[in-house]
Amino acid sequence: MRKRLLFSMLVPFLAVILIAGLCSAVSAADIKIGGIMDTTGATSDVGKDYALGMDEAFKWINEQGGVNGKKIKYTWFDYGYRIPEAITKYKLQKRLGSIVIMGWGTGDTEALSPTVNKDEIPYVSASYSAHLTDPKKTPYNLFFSSDYSTNARAALTAWFDKKWPGKAGSKENRKPRFAAVYMFASPYCSAPIKAIKNQAELLGFEIGPDQDVSLFALDTKSQVMSLKEFKPDVCWHGNTTMSVSATLRDAYGLGLGADWIVNNWGFDENLPRLAGEAAEGVMGATPIGFYGQNYKNMDLLVAAAKKYNPGVPQEKRLIRTAQAWGDALLTWEALKRADKAGDLSGAGIMKKGFETLVNYDIGLGASPITFTAADHRPTTGCLIQEWKGGKFQEVARVDLKQRWPDKWEKEWLGW
Amino acid sequence: MELFLMTITTGVMVGGIYALVALGWVLIYKCSGVLNLAMGELTLIGAYVTLTFYQMGVPFIFAVLGTLLVGIALGILCERIFLDKLIGEPILSVIMVTVGMSFFFKGIVQFIWGSDTRVFDPPVFALKPIEIGFLRVSSVYLWSFILSILLLLIFVAFFKYTRWGLSMQATADDETAALSLGVSARFVYAAAWAIAFMSAGVGGALLGNINGINISVGYLGLLVLPAVVLGGLNSVPGAIAGGIIIGLLQNLSGTYLDNYFPGGVKEIVPFAFMAVFLLFKPYGLWGWERIERV
Amino acid sequence: MSSAWLPCGDYHENYRQDQGWWQSSFIKTKMILLLALVFIGIPFLASEYWVGVASMVGYTAMGALGVQLLIGYTGLVTLGHAAFIAVGAYTSTMMILQFPWPQFMLDWGVAYPLSIFTAGIVAGLWSVLFGLPSAKVKGFYLILTTMAAQFITVDFILTQYVSQIGGRGQAFSLPPGTIKIGPIVMDSEREIYFLMAVLLTLMVIGLANLLRSRAGRAWVAIRDNDIAAEALGINIVWYKLLAFFVAGFMGGVAGAFWVSNTAALSPEHFPFFLSLWLVGVILIGGVGSIHGAIFGSIFMVVIMELLQMAVIPMGDYFPKLLIDFAYIKDAAFGLAICGFVIYEPNGIAYRWWQMKNYFNLWPFSY
Repeated sequence: MRKRLLFSMLVPFLAVILIAGLCSAVSAADIKIGGIMDTTGATSDVGKDYALGMDEAFKWINEQGGVNGKKIKYTWFDYGYRIPEAITKYKLQKRLGSIVIMGWGTGDTEALSPTVNKDEIPYVSASYSAHLTDPKKTPYNLFFSSDYSTNARAALTAWFDKKWPGKAGSKENRKPRFAAVYMFASPYCSAPIKAIKNQAELLGFEIGPDQDVSLFALDTKSQVMSLKEFKPDVCWHGNTTMSVSATLRDAYGLGLGADWIVNNWGFDENLPRLAGEAAEGVMGATPIGFYGQNYKNMDLLVAAAKKYNPGVPQEKRLIRTAQAWGDALLTWEALKRADKAGDLSGAGIMKKGFETLVNYDIGLGASPITFTAADHRPTTGCLIQEWKGGKFQEVARVDLKQRWPDKWEKEWLGW
Repeated sequence: MELFLMTITTGVMVGGIYALVALGWVLIYKCSGVLNLAMGELTLIGAYVTLTFYQMGVPFIFAVLGTLLVGIALGILCERIFLDKLIGEPILSVIMVTVGMSFFFKGIVQFIWGSDTRVFDPPVFALKPIEIGFLRVSSVYLWSFILSILLLLIFVAFFKYTRWGLSMQATADDETAALSLGVSARFVYAAAWAIAFMSAGVGGALLGNINGINISVGYLGLLVLPAVVLGGLNSVPGAIAGGIIIGLLQNLSGTYLDNYFPGGVKEIVPFAFMAVFLLFKPYGLWGWERIERV
Repeated sequence: MSSAWLPCGDYHENYRQDQGWWQSSFIKTKMILLLALVFIGIPFLASEYWVGVASMVGYTAMGALGVQLLIGYTGLVTLGHAAFIAVGAYTSTMMILQFPWPQFMLDWGVAYPLSIFTAGIVAGLWSVLFGLPSAKVKGFYLILTTMAAQFITVDFILTQYVSQIGGRGQAFSLPPGTIKIGPIVMDSEREIYFLMAVLLTLMVIGLANLLRSRAGRAWVAIRDNDIAAEALGINIVWYKLLAFFVAGFMGGVAGAFWVSNTAALSPEHFPFFLSLWLVGVILIGGVGSIHGAIFGSIFMVVIMELLQMAVIPMGDYFPKLLIDFAYIKDAAFGLAICGFVIYEPNGIAYRWWQMKNYFNLWPFSY
């Protein structure tokens, strides 16, 4: 009897799935854009808001008339921050005929890069890894923001300029001590480490041992205690908000006493919520304005967020929405230019779209964007902000190209 | 020296929570012979339920009590729906049902509560550490340790001195004999699951207070396996000792081994240790040695 | 349930016939038709996408066969088989990317075929290493050692050390065109499918033959009662390790095959989930039968694929479905396993066997 029951439930269920599955032919649209997002995986703390923002941005763009009158059909999937799943979803997107793909993580973007080159599909990612900025190696990978290495260098420089002179150690004439905390096995976290260590050497830091903190970590006591042996003045945290806040709390609880500088995906409105008083004085790289911060075009974004996703409370929205808009607006502009030139092939979008952008300003507090055929680093510097007294405050806007023009041009491309 | 002492303290305190969850595991195994791989998800559910109560404005201690009640209900439900039919089935089937349960629960929990970290807000325990000499111990750790030791004592007393506890022990010892003396086996199985759910729930609630809750709390369910193997599968004091040993091992290796094997040692050491340990003492420290006959 | 009832009029007169490869001309025709379907029907009639899905089924089946041998035929429960698939995949990738091949060998495209074989051997030996405790422990304790194999191999050695070889990062990109067999570059779904079909067919034939040999009988004896088997003079440690080796070998070959189908290789391809998934596959398909591993793979992969496709059109109306799809998938997998173990413990293969019997004995089924 029970078996019968199971079957009588299972069979109609399977039939519905089968029918729905086979009916899923995608309706014809003029321009298809695919998305590979993380809403369930290790970076979903920041990925969910990004995915929402991206969806809203394309809806808004369609309302503005799309790409010179052509509508955009944006289809996205969650891949759970797993590289194998990203590869599957990429194949699915290709099958659906997407001409541009909005990607997410560093591991999958870098892993897919050779395939993307072969398929000539521009891949606009939320991974700002500097490894994706050398057009000789990765001609089809793009993003709107300063890359991670630039973020790291800028953050360390800003700390060195603004905070170090006020510390006790600087009067004793000793070297400032620096240590990096990140997940070793994550390509996102380890991407800027070489660059920030190089920068630390350049500025005359003493560099301590790295600490491994996983993206999901909740208990980082032993790492913080190892750090305590070294007594750093400043630590870099290269993860996302979840594990950054856990580390901050443990460091506060164990009395580490170092300042923290954080990569952009670990620095958002959630950080003070999760870390509480431990977040005071933390500095981070911000590629774009915080949600609702007073910048050009921010009101459009907030209005779109309220309109398309009224169910999501406003206080849950993060800077990630703005980051998604940054990538979406960049793509929109490139598509418009390429469409005007009459070439919507992959190579056309790159050559006649993206690579014609010079000092293009998307608003939202982002730095102006320039792409050339020889250099895909979108910006030359980064804004560093700090959580202080209950709000985010600007610390410094560091322009690396101005400060080290030679190294910027010759040495620092592509890592 | 300071580093060593602090590592030891942290290890023992985290180990206290592991011990609590390990106890729940051993209970289920002892009473019904089910090898439960879903313990982590039980912990996860406990943590989130407490959090939900707490966010609704219920004081923490009542939130924990509420979690206990939910734990009892869920435990009995689980036993009735999934495991009742598996008594006497091969070990693989039982394990795979608990694996299936763990996936099911994980999916449901994430569907409801999402995957990003949630913290108890306003914090239950002050973030400021308590200083005893040069030792700095977060108050969360101290309270969790005290609370878990207290609960352990209560559980042990329950088994030693109450009628229900004794009947559960009797069933574990010899099911047929217990049945003939009027103990209801079905009741005992349900009670075991309810208690396991409760201990896992409290463990989860305490862990969640340390730095917040996310899906990695469920990893505890796997960590509990080395703990129970060390102690021997069916020994309550063994589970407690095993939990504390695993907590210590993790923190010691995180502090000292990390320099030699950078990255991830902390997560692996309990399992590696367990694999080697099994070669020398296949029945754990205090487990029953089974004599097999053809 | 090892063999079906014979149709009316077919009689076996001796053991050789009982164990025969082609038991009747009907079976022979059936198998030839099946092979034709696999090698001609699917690749040329199905769309590219479904050919890709078929390759995935094949990959799952190759992994599941190893698990089936360990669990279903030798009674050694393993929850760490993904580790051996991973070892195979990494061996193959390292051989292709890092080994200093002479140019002419690259031109001839022997690197990849050689690496598949090596991957099998290496994974087999690795599997034996973690099978060693099986000499001493069994049951739940053995399950824990295989779990330890998973965590030590994938989460530690591969993630922290092997992945760091050759620069940085977690994934090895396999640029299009690096994987060649002879003159054929493996870059379309159909070529990958053919490789899968050949490997899987060889594996099934190999395993089926092994199972009717001395080794196979020893394994089954160990599964049914290891102490009795030992009393019969079977060297159980040797045969257990042999089972681990063969299972690891098949896992390694599966991993090496999978390399051709992905653009990049990372430890995330082989999570603990995959190990559990493979056990789930054989439970759903049926424990203790080769059919079971294959039926289970088809069922699980195709169902998940259909679920995915069903979500695409529904996503427009229920965005939450799209956002949280991974969780729904998890929960569905969990329920499927529970449901099958509780209500259908013999798996799909058992139903297949019943159906076969029904038709064999029809119309006089009493």
